[in-house]
Amino acid sequence: MADGIMTRPETAGPVAVSESPLAEALNRLSDGGPLAERRRAAWAEYLSLPMPTKKTEEWRYTDLTKLDPESFAPLAPAGREVEPVAFDDLPPAVREILEGEGVRSGTMIELDARLARLDLEVAAADAGVVFAPLARIAEDDPELIERFLFSSDIAPMEKKLWALHTAALSGGYLLYVPKNVKVENPVHVMRWLSKTGALLSTHSLIVVERGAEVTVIDEYLSDDLGQGSLSLNGVEVFGGEGALVNYLGLQRYGSGVQHFTMQHANTPKDCTLNSFNVTIGADLSRCDITSHLLGAGSDSEMLAVWFGDGDQHFDYHTLQHHAAPSARSDLLFKGALAGSAESIFRGLIRVDVGAQLTDAYQTNRNLLLSEESEATTLPSLEIAADDVKCSHGASVGQVDEHQLFYLTSRGLTRAQAERLLVFGFFGEVLARMPVESVRDRMTDAIERKIDI
Amino acid sequence: MPKNETVAELGLDDYKYDFRTEDKPVFKAQKGLSEEVVRQISRHKEEPEWMLEFRLKALEIYYSKPMPEWGGDLSTLNLDEIYFYLRPQDRMERSWDDVPDDIKNTFERLGIPEAERSILAGVGAQFESEMVYHSLKEEWTEQGIIFESIEDGLKLYPEIFREHFATIVPPGDNKFAALNSAVWSGGSFVYIPKGVKVDIPLQAYFRVNAEQMGQFERTLIICEEGAQAHYIEGCTAPVYTTESFHSGVIEIVVKPNARFRYTTIQNWSSNMYNLVTQRAMVHENANMEWLDGNLGSKLTMKYPSCFLVGEGAHGEILSIAYAGDGQHQDTGGKVIHAAPNTTSMIVSKSISKGTGRSSYRGLCKVYEGAVGSKSNVECDALLMNETSRTDTYPYIEIDENQSSIGHEASVSKVGEEQLFYLMSRGLSEAEAMTMVVRGFIEPIAKELPLEYAIELNRLIELEMEGSVG
Amino acid sequence: MSEGEFRTVARLEDVPEGGLHGVEVEGTKLVLAESGGEIFALYDECSHEEFPLSEGEVVDGQVECILHGARFDLRSGKPKALPAVRPVRAYECRVENGEIQVRL
Repeated sequence: MADGIMTRPETAGPVAVSESPLAEALNRLSDGGPLAERRRAAWAEYLSLPMPTKKTEEWRYTDLTKLDPESFAPLAPAGREVEPVAFDDLPPAVREILEGEGVRSGTMIELDARLARLDLEVAAADAGVVFAPLARIAEDDPELIERFLFSSDIAPMEKKLWALHTAALSGGYLLYVPKNVKVENPVHVMRWLSKTGALLSTHSLIVVERGAEVTVIDEYLSDDLGQGSLSLNGVEVFGGEGALVNYLGLQRYGSGVQHFTMQHANTPKDCTLNSFNVTIGADLSRCDITSHLLGAGSDSEMLAVWFGDGDQHFDYHTLQHHAAPSARSDLLFKGALAGSAESIFRGLIRVDVGAQLTDAYQTNRNLLLSEESEATTLPSLEIAADDVKCSHGASVGQVDEHQLFYLTSRGLTRAQAERLLVFGFFGEVLARMPVESVRDRMTDAIERKIDI
Repeated sequence: MPKNETVAELGLDDYKYDFRTEDKPVFKAQKGLSEEVVRQISRHKEEPEWMLEFRLKALEIYYSKPMPEWGGDLSTLNLDEIYFYLRPQDRMERSWDDVPDDIKNTFERLGIPEAERSILAGVGAQFESEMVYHSLKEEWTEQGIIFESIEDGLKLYPEIFREHFATIVPPGDNKFAALNSAVWSGGSFVYIPKGVKVDIPLQAYFRVNAEQMGQFERTLIICEEGAQAHYIEGCTAPVYTTESFHSGVIEIVVKPNARFRYTTIQNWSSNMYNLVTQRAMVHENANMEWLDGNLGSKLTMKYPSCFLVGEGAHGEILSIAYAGDGQHQDTGGKVIHAAPNTTSMIVSKSISKGTGRSSYRGLCKVYEGAVGSKSNVECDALLMNETSRTDTYPYIEIDENQSSIGHEASVSKVGEEQLFYLMSRGLSEAEAMTMVVRGFIEPIAKELPLEYAIELNRLIELEMEGSVG
Repeated sequence: MSEGEFRTVARLEDVPEGGLHGVEVEGTKLVLAESGGEIFALYDECSHEEFPLSEGEVVDGQVECILHGARFDLRSGKPKALPAVRPVRAYECRVENGEIQVRL
C-alpha cells in the first residue's frame, strides 16, 4: 500500500478487498516486473469501476454480480523463459492434440500459466517471425508493447473485466509476422488449467504486417474442476494493409470453469481478419467478439458454433463496427442446446456516418434439442449511412420432425437421426473452418457431447 | 437538382395541422406535477375514492421509477413546465351543433363530422384533456355496444370498468404508465358485447391545442367472446416553440374467438414527446391486430403488445414509421406467447429522411409450455439521405423448443436503378421517388381503411404520397 | 406432485396485518401474506422477471409485485394483472398455536 494506488477510492462500490487473495497477489505483482506499471493502473481502474449488473443492457442475461473475482487466486505469471515439461508429463488432452493435429508452424503450451513449450519453425524464425511470451517482449521490446498491448478500443461494458484481465495477467504471447511473410501452417497455442480456485488471465497479441498471412489457434483445456476457476482472456489482432489472419478460439474446458474472452480485431485498409470460435466446455462462457473495420476494403468473416448441455450458459456478444467505407463483414453464429443449457446471442452491426458502400451481414440460428433449453437472440443494427447493404436474420427452432421421421423410417435410431440433423445444421459453418484437422476434432468433440 | 432534394416534394415535411384555436379552457391545473394536481383532477371528475387512491399510489410509483436510459433522448423533456390538465368546456356534447364554435372549427378542419356522416360507426373527439364529443350511431347502441368517454365508462359501468382497468397495463409497468395512471384524463371506454360484429370502424380523435400541454388519455376496450370491431385513433397538435407531451395508455381485452383491430395514425407536431403504452390480452382463438402509423412527433416511443394467453391466439403488429428532420421514431412491437399454438407476426417498415432516425425495438418471447408457437418478424428500413439513421433491436427469448421463431431485417437506400428505370418511363424524379416510397410502404398501407376514413385517407395521401404532378 | 409435511415457517406475528413476510425454508423461498384474517403462502418469486414478491404489497386478496405491477391471487397463485402470464406456486397453509405452518 506504499504508494496508495492499491487503496480503494472512496467512491467505489464493493467491500474493501485489501485482504483478499486477489488483492494480495496483485499487490505483489505490481511491485516489480516489466508490466508492473500497467498492472497498477489497471487495478486502480478495476477498483474504481462498479461491477456491471443485469441493469447494464449488455449484461442483462449474464448476472456478473454472482461472479466474485476476489475469491479466486491469480496464478503466478509465466516468466520470460520456457520451463520445459517432458512429453509424457503433459496432460493427455494436450498430448492428444500434439499427436493428432497436422503440421504446425508454431506451438506454445501453457500449463496453469507456466510456459511449458514454445517452438517456432526455422523457416518462420528466419523470415523474422517473432513468437514469444509477453514477459520476454515486455523487457526486450517495450516500444512494441507500448504501441500495441491493450490498445484496442474497449467498450464501456467490457472495461471492468478488461481491467481485471490486465491487472492479473498471468500469461500470453506476442506473435509478430513481418511484411509479406506467409506463415505456412497454423500457430497453435494450448492453455491447460488444472488448479481450482484459480484466476487464469491470458492474452494473445497478434501483429501482422502488410501483406503477411497467418493462422492462429488458441485452445483452452481442463479437466472437470469441482470448485471452479476463472479464466479471463484477451485477444488483440492488428493487421497491416492487405494482411490476412485467421483466428480460431476453441474452448473445451471441463465443468466448473467460468470463461470470459474479449476479442478485438483491428482491420485497416484491404486487410482481412477472420475469426472462428467454438464453444463446447465450461459452466459459463462469455465471448465478446469485435471487428473494428477501420479501413476501406477491410473484410471480416466471423463464425461460431456452440453445443451446450447440462446447465451450461453461453453468452455471445458481437460488434461489427464499420468505421470506414467499402468494408465487408459477414457473421454466422449457430448454436445447438440440450439439457437445460441456455444461450444468448447479442450482435450489433454499427455503420458510422460516412461508411458508405458497407456490406454487412449477421445471422444467428439456434436449435433447441430439449424442453428445458433456452435461447435468446438479439441481432441489432445501428445504421448511419444510407448507401449500405445490411441485413440480419435470426431464428430459433427445433429439429425438423419430418426429417427425423424420414431418417428413422430408413432404419436409423432417433438418436442417430438427431445427431445427423445437428451436424446438418452445423455443416454450413463447419465447412468454412480454415483448418481441416481442427474441423474434424471439433466435430468429434461435439459428437461425444451429443452421445452423453 | 440533386436527387435527395426532390423528396421534399413528397410533402412529407410540411405540417398540415399547424392551425390553432384560441386557448381559453374552463379549468387549467397548475403547471408541473404534484399530489395537489392529482387531487384536483380527481375532484373535478367527481371520482370514487378508489380511483383517487389508485392515482395517488401511481404518482408514488412514478416518482420511484428512474427515467428510461434506452430508446430516445428524454434529457430535454421538462415535465415541470407541462400543464397536466386542461378542461376545455363544461360538459360533453352528443350533438355536433352544440360543440363550441372554436373547438368545432378545429375538428371541422380535421374532417371529423364529414367522416362520421359518411362512414363511421361512432366518433369520439378529445380536445386537450377531455372528450368534447362522443356519439355512436343508433343501430350500434341498440346492439348493446358501449362507446363512451372513459370518465363516463367509470361512472356508468363501474363494475366492468373496475374488473379490467389497469389489469393489462398496471401503473408499475413502466414510468410513463405510472404517470398516466396518476393524471389520466379523457380517452374512450368501449365494450363490444358477445357475438356482435361492428363492420365499420369506431373512431377517436385527439388534439392538443394549448402550449406546453400534456395529454394523458386512457382507453379501455373489452371485446367479448366472438365479437368483432375496429377502432381508429388519430392525433394532431399545432406547432409551438415549447415542447408538449403525450403519454397515453391503451388497454384491450380480446376474449375467446373475438377479433379486434386497433389503428393509430399519429401525426403529432414536431415538438411533441409521444410515449405510449398499448397492450392487448388475447384469449383462446382470438385475434388482435395493431396497425401503427407514426408520422409526427419529435420523439415517439411506442411498442404495441400482444399477450397471447389463450391457446390458438393470434397477434399481429403492422408498423410504419416516418422520421423526418429532427424526428426520432423508436417504435416496434412485442409478442408474448404464453399458451400453446399461438402465432404472431410483426412487419415493420420505416423511412428516415434528413436527420431523421427510426429505430425498431421489439420483443418476441415464448414461454415454456407454449408448444407449437410460431412467430415471424420482418423489418425493412429505407434511408433517404447520408444523414439519416436507422436501428434495429429485436429481442428474441425462447424457452420452448417446440416452437419456430424467425426474424429478418434489411436496410436499403432508394435504389438508383429503380429511379433510373422509372424516369426512363417518363416520370419526373420526384414522381419516381414518390412511387418508390409508396411501393415500400404499400404492404402496410393497403391494410388501412382508406375507403372508410376520409381524414385518414387525406393524411396518407398528403403525408406519404404528396401532391406531385 | 407428492404432498409434503406441514412445517412451521414463521410466527403469526411475523406477518403484519394486510402485509407480507418473506421466509426461506430448506432453500425454498416463500412469501407469507395476511389478507382478511387469513394467511397465505406463495413461492416468493414473480413469474415475470424473477423478483421477490415479498417486497411488494397486498391489494384486494392479491399480491402485487413492486417491479412491474404484476398481480397474483393469494389463494391460487394465478396471475391477475399483466405483465405476468404464468402462475406462481401456492402452498397449503395453516396456523397452529400462533405458528404458521406450510405444506412443502
